[in-house]
Amino acid sequence: MKLFNKKKTDGTEMIGRSLGQETWRRLRKNKGAMMGIAFIILLLIGTALASIFYDYDKDIIGMTRDRFMAPNWQHPFGTDNMGRDIFARVIYGAKYSLFISFGSTLLGLVVGLALGAVAGYYGGLVDNIIMRLTDIFYSIPYIMIAVVVVSILGTSMSSLLFAMALGTFCNFARIGRASVMTVRDMEFVEAGRAIGLPTWKIILKHILPNCLSAIIVQTTLKVGSNIISASSLSFLGVGITPPTPEWGAMLSDGRSYIRSSGWMCLFPGLAIMFTVLALNLLGDGLRDAMDPKLKR
Amino acid sequence: MKKVLLAVLAVIMVTVFGFSGVLAEGTIKNDLVIGVAQEINELNPMMQNDQINNNCFALTHERLVFLDNGHGYEIYPEIAESWEWTDETHLVFHLNPNVKFSNGTPLTADDVVFTLNRARSDDPTLSKVSGQLGLVTDVSKIDDYTVQVTTSAYSNELIYNFGSYPLAIQSKAAYEDPANTAPWLIGSGPYSFKEWQEGQYVTFTKDEDYWNKENRPSFANEITFKFLLEASQRAIALQNGEIDVCVDPPVTDLRFLEDDENVTVHTQAGTRLFYLGMNVAKDPFTNEKLRQALSCAVDKETVIAIVLDGLGKWQTSVLNRGAWSFLDNDEVEGGYTYDVDRAKALLAEAGYEPGALTVELFTPTDDPYKTIAPIIQANLKEIGVNVEIKSMDQATLKTECAAGHQQMFLWRWNIGARVDETYRELFYTGFPTNYAQLSDPVVDDLADKVLTEMDQDKRLQYSYDYQNYMVEKVYQIPLYVPDLVIAYNKGLVVSDSYDEPGVMFAGGGNHFWARAYVEE
Amino acid sequence: MFRYILKRIIILIPTLLATSLLIFWAMDLAGGDPVDQILPENATYEQKDALREEMGLNDPFFIRYFRYIGGILKGDMGESYITHRDVFQTFMGRLNMTLLLGGSALIFACIISIPLGIYTALHQNTWKDTAAMIIALFGVSMPNFWLGLMLILLFSLKLGWLPSGGTGGFKYLILPSVTVGLGLAALLTRTTRSAMLDVLRQDYMTTAKAKGASRNRVIYNHGLRNAIIPIITAIGMQFSYVMTGSALAETVFGWPGIGRLVVDSINKRDTPMVTGSIILCCVLMAVINLVVDIVYAFCDPRIKAQYSGKG
Repeated sequence: MKLFNKKKTDGTEMIGRSLGQETWRRLRKNKGAMMGIAFIILLLIGTALASIFYDYDKDIIGMTRDRFMAPNWQHPFGTDNMGRDIFARVIYGAKYSLFISFGSTLLGLVVGLALGAVAGYYGGLVDNIIMRLTDIFYSIPYIMIAVVVVSILGTSMSSLLFAMALGTFCNFARIGRASVMTVRDMEFVEAGRAIGLPTWKIILKHILPNCLSAIIVQTTLKVGSNIISASSLSFLGVGITPPTPEWGAMLSDGRSYIRSSGWMCLFPGLAIMFTVLALNLLGDGLRDAMDPKLKR
Repeated sequence: MKKVLLAVLAVIMVTVFGFSGVLAEGTIKNDLVIGVAQEINELNPMMQNDQINNNCFALTHERLVFLDNGHGYEIYPEIAESWEWTDETHLVFHLNPNVKFSNGTPLTADDVVFTLNRARSDDPTLSKVSGQLGLVTDVSKIDDYTVQVTTSAYSNELIYNFGSYPLAIQSKAAYEDPANTAPWLIGSGPYSFKEWQEGQYVTFTKDEDYWNKENRPSFANEITFKFLLEASQRAIALQNGEIDVCVDPPVTDLRFLEDDENVTVHTQAGTRLFYLGMNVAKDPFTNEKLRQALSCAVDKETVIAIVLDGLGKWQTSVLNRGAWSFLDNDEVEGGYTYDVDRAKALLAEAGYEPGALTVELFTPTDDPYKTIAPIIQANLKEIGVNVEIKSMDQATLKTECAAGHQQMFLWRWNIGARVDETYRELFYTGFPTNYAQLSDPVVDDLADKVLTEMDQDKRLQYSYDYQNYMVEKVYQIPLYVPDLVIAYNKGLVVSDSYDEPGVMFAGGGNHFWARAYVEE
Repeated sequence: MFRYILKRIIILIPTLLATSLLIFWAMDLAGGDPVDQILPENATYEQKDALREEMGLNDPFFIRYFRYIGGILKGDMGESYITHRDVFQTFMGRLNMTLLLGGSALIFACIISIPLGIYTALHQNTWKDTAAMIIALFGVSMPNFWLGLMLILLFSLKLGWLPSGGTGGFKYLILPSVTVGLGLAALLTRTTRSAMLDVLRQDYMTTAKAKGASRNRVIYNHGLRNAIIPIITAIGMQFSYVMTGSALAETVFGWPGIGRLVVDSINKRDTPMVTGSIILCCVLMAVINLVVDIVYAFCDPRIKAQYSGKG
C-alpha cells in the first residue's frame, strides 16, 4: 500500500491537464475502451433522439392489435403483451436505467468519499463509527437493503436511486479512507495545515486528487454494476412503477411470456449486457491508461 | 496438465455424486400431485381464511354442511344429517351419529359446541374468523347429536358459514389432551396431514378408517400440493409428468398444453371479480358524474384481451359472477359501459376540462394489477383524465385503502357463497373492507333486507335493486372475472356432481380434491 | 492472531446491534399494518384491535425493540406473522437450499475459472487469451437473472433437457447453479489470470526455471501455490455476490432459499421474518468475512497490502 501510493504521490504535479492528456493518449490505443465509449455515446444519442422521435403515449401504448409480434422489419425487436414496440421501449428506457445508475453512483460517490475522507483524516473514534456503519451496509447484500428502503419510501425512481446509493457508498468510503490515510501525514499536507488552510480545503485540494484515478475507474465500473443492480431490483418488482420501460421491469414482464414470446426477455437483457459491457471496457481501459503499472 | 484435468474431473464427480445423494432423499413420489401457485400458511382451520389452505382442509376436515361452490352453491349434509330454523333466531343441527375423527374418537355435539365457541372468540390467538359468526349469540348442546345455534336475527345466509372450512369441526378431546401439540390437525376428513416441507410441498395421506368411506370413498393414497410459483414452470412440470394438475396455467401458453395429447385443458366461468375502486368519500370521487364518466372510459374488453388473453368475462354488476341473483351485462338496467364520447360528455357535465384532473391509482406491484394499471391509465388519458400510478405491495395497499388514503385503487374480491360478502363487506357503512369508504343509507338498507327477508321473491327483487342501484351510482367500476383455467393429466377424473367421485372444480378456486384421482 | 480474531468478534456485536436496530426501525416505518396481514381480509375492527394489543404493537418503539432483542438473547427470534413458524428454524431450513445453490455455483465457477485463468495467463496476448478475456467480460456484464431466463429458454423450453425450476434431483440444481456461477466464473477468471501473471513475473519463477525444473512443475508447484492466495481472497470477497445472485436465481427458478424468503417476507410485510433473516444474513456474512480475513492474514500480509489498494 505504502509503496504503491508513494510513487503516485511523487507525481502529484502530473495530475491536471498533463495526466488527462496522457490518459487520453493511452486510452485511444485501447480498442475495447474506444468501442465502449462509442457505444455509450451512441446510446446517449439514441436516447436523446428517442424522446424527440417517439411520442411515448402515441407510438408505444395503444396498439393492442399488434400483440406478441415476433421481430420483423416494422418492429425489429418485436412487440410485447400490450402490443408495444420493444425496440422503442428499450431505447426509451435507456434513460431510466442510465439515470438511476449514474445518479446512484454519483450520490454514493459524493457521500462515500466525504465519509471516507473524514474517517481517514480524523481517525480514532470518528473513523471507527463511520467505518463500522459502512461495514453494516457492506455486509448486507444490496438487494436486501434496497428492498427494505423501497418498501419504506414506496416504489419510485427516487427511492430506488437512494437505495442503490446506500449500497454504493461503502465502496467509495473505503477508497476515500485508504487514500486519505496514506497521504494524511505527508509533507505537503502538513504544509497546508501549517499555512492555516481549513481541513475541508486540505482534503479537497490536496488529498482527493491523489485518489482521482482510482475514483474514476471505480465510478465507471460501479455505474455498470449499478445498471445490473437496478434492473435486478425492478425484476424483483421493487423498483419502478409500471408502465415505465426500465429494462429490468421489461424483463420481469417478459418472463411470464418466455415460452411463447422469448424475444420479450431477450432484447432488454441484451441492452443491459451491452451497456454494462461498454462501461466495463471503458473502465478497464481507463485503469490501464491511468496507471500503466497496473496493466496486466 | 493431465494432473489438473484429473483433479478437475475428481472434483466434478464428487460434486455430482455428493449432491445427488443429498437431493435424492427429497424426491417426491405420490399418487396425486397438484401444482399450485401459492404456499399454504396455516394448519389450523380457524386461524385463517385463505383459499390455498382451505383446499387442504377439505382433505383433512369436515364441516357441518357440505357447500358445493362449483355447481350453484348447493348445500348437502356432511357432519350434520339435517338442520332447520326452529324460529327466527334458532338454528338446530342434527348430527350424524357415525362420524369419527381420524384418531378414532366419535364426533359429538360437544366437539361442535367447542369448535364454534372457539371460533367465535375474539382472542386472536384462538381464532381469526370470529367475524363469520358475528350474528351468533350462543351455541348449545341439546343432546349428544343435536346442537342449537342462537342468533341475534334471522339470516338467509348464515347456513353457508357452516359450510366454510375455517368452521370445520375440530376435536375437543384433542385440545384437552396435553400430549397433543397440534390438536388442530385432527379432523374427520378422509385424509391426514403428513408433511409440510416449507417452500416445496405439503402432503396428505389417505385414512383407511375414514368413517364415510362406503358412501364417499377417496382413492389417491397420497395427495401432494407442490408449490410452483411461476405459471410457466407449472405448465412445464405438468408436461413433464412431474405434477398431475396445474392450477392456473399461464393463459398465453395454453396452446402448448392444448397441443399436448396427455393434457386436458379445462375452462369454466370464474367468480373472482377484479375491480377498479374509488374512494367515494373524498373529492373528486364524490362527484357522481365523474364516476360515471370513468366507467364509460374504461375499455374492459381490451383489459381482458391483454391480461387474460380473452379468457374472462367483463361485467357491470358489483356482485360476483355465478352468485345467487347475479345480473349479467344484458340484465342490468342502464349502466355505463365503454363509450368514449359519452365518457367525454359526462366528464364535461361533471365540470372537468380535459386534462384538468389528475388522480392517483394505487395498485399492487404484482400481476395482473401491474398490467391492468397502464391500460386504465391509457384509457383515462383518452378522455383527458391523467392517472398517476402508485404501486405498492398488497399489505400496504390494504392498510392504505382501509384507512381511506387512496383515490383510485385496483383490487379483487371473491365470495364463498354469500352475496352478503359483497353487499355488506364491500359497501356497508363502517365495514373494515369497505375500501370505497361508502356510506349510503339506501345501500345499507338493501343489504340488510337481502340478508333478512324471509320471502324469497321479495328478497330476490331487493338483490336486483341493489345491483341496479350500484350500477347507476358507479360506486365501483367492476372490470372482469377471469375464467377458471385448469390443465391436468388426461387421466384425472373430474366430477360433475356431489354424488360422483373425482375432483370438483369451483369457479372461485375452492376445488374439492378429496375424491380426486388419476386413472392410469 | 488470537487477539485479532477476538477483536473482530467483539466489533461484530455492536455492528449486529446497530443492524438489528436499523432493520427493525425500517420495517417499523414501512407502510402496511401487520394486523391486516395476519387476519383474514374481512376481520372486524375489534379483532384487529385485540390482535394489536396481543402482539404489543401499541407499545412504544424502543420497548418493542428491546423485547425483540431480549427474545434473541434467549434464542427466540419470534414467529412468522404469516406461517406462524419459528423464524430461526425457517431460516435454517432455507439456508441449506441457498448453501447448496451457492456452494455448487462456487464449485462450478472454480472448475471453470481457475484452469482458464491459468491457461490465459500462460498464453498472454495470444488470440486465445483475448477471446477468453472477451468472453469473461461478457460474463461479468451479464445480469445473472437474465442469463437464467435465457438458459431456461434454451435448455428447458427449446431443448427440453432440464427442468425450468423447482427442486428435486440433481438436474434441478444445474441451471440455477450455472446461472449464479457463470458471472462468478468470469470474475474469477480475470482474478486468476492477473494473479498468475503477477506470479509469473516474480524472480523465484525465473530461479525455479533456471534450476531446471520442468515447465509444469514450475507453474503448478511454484506459480499456482503463490497465486492461490489472491484467488481465495477474491472468492471470499464474492460471497456477497453469491448471496445476491442466489436471491435472483432463486426467484427465477423458484428455488426455496433465503433470498426468496426475504423478498417474499418483505412483500407480505412479515416483519419478524424479515428482521430475523437479515440479521442472520449479516451474521453469516460477518462470519464468512472473518474467516476470509483470517485466512488472508495468515497467508501473506504482503499480498494483502498489495491487493487492498486496487479495489
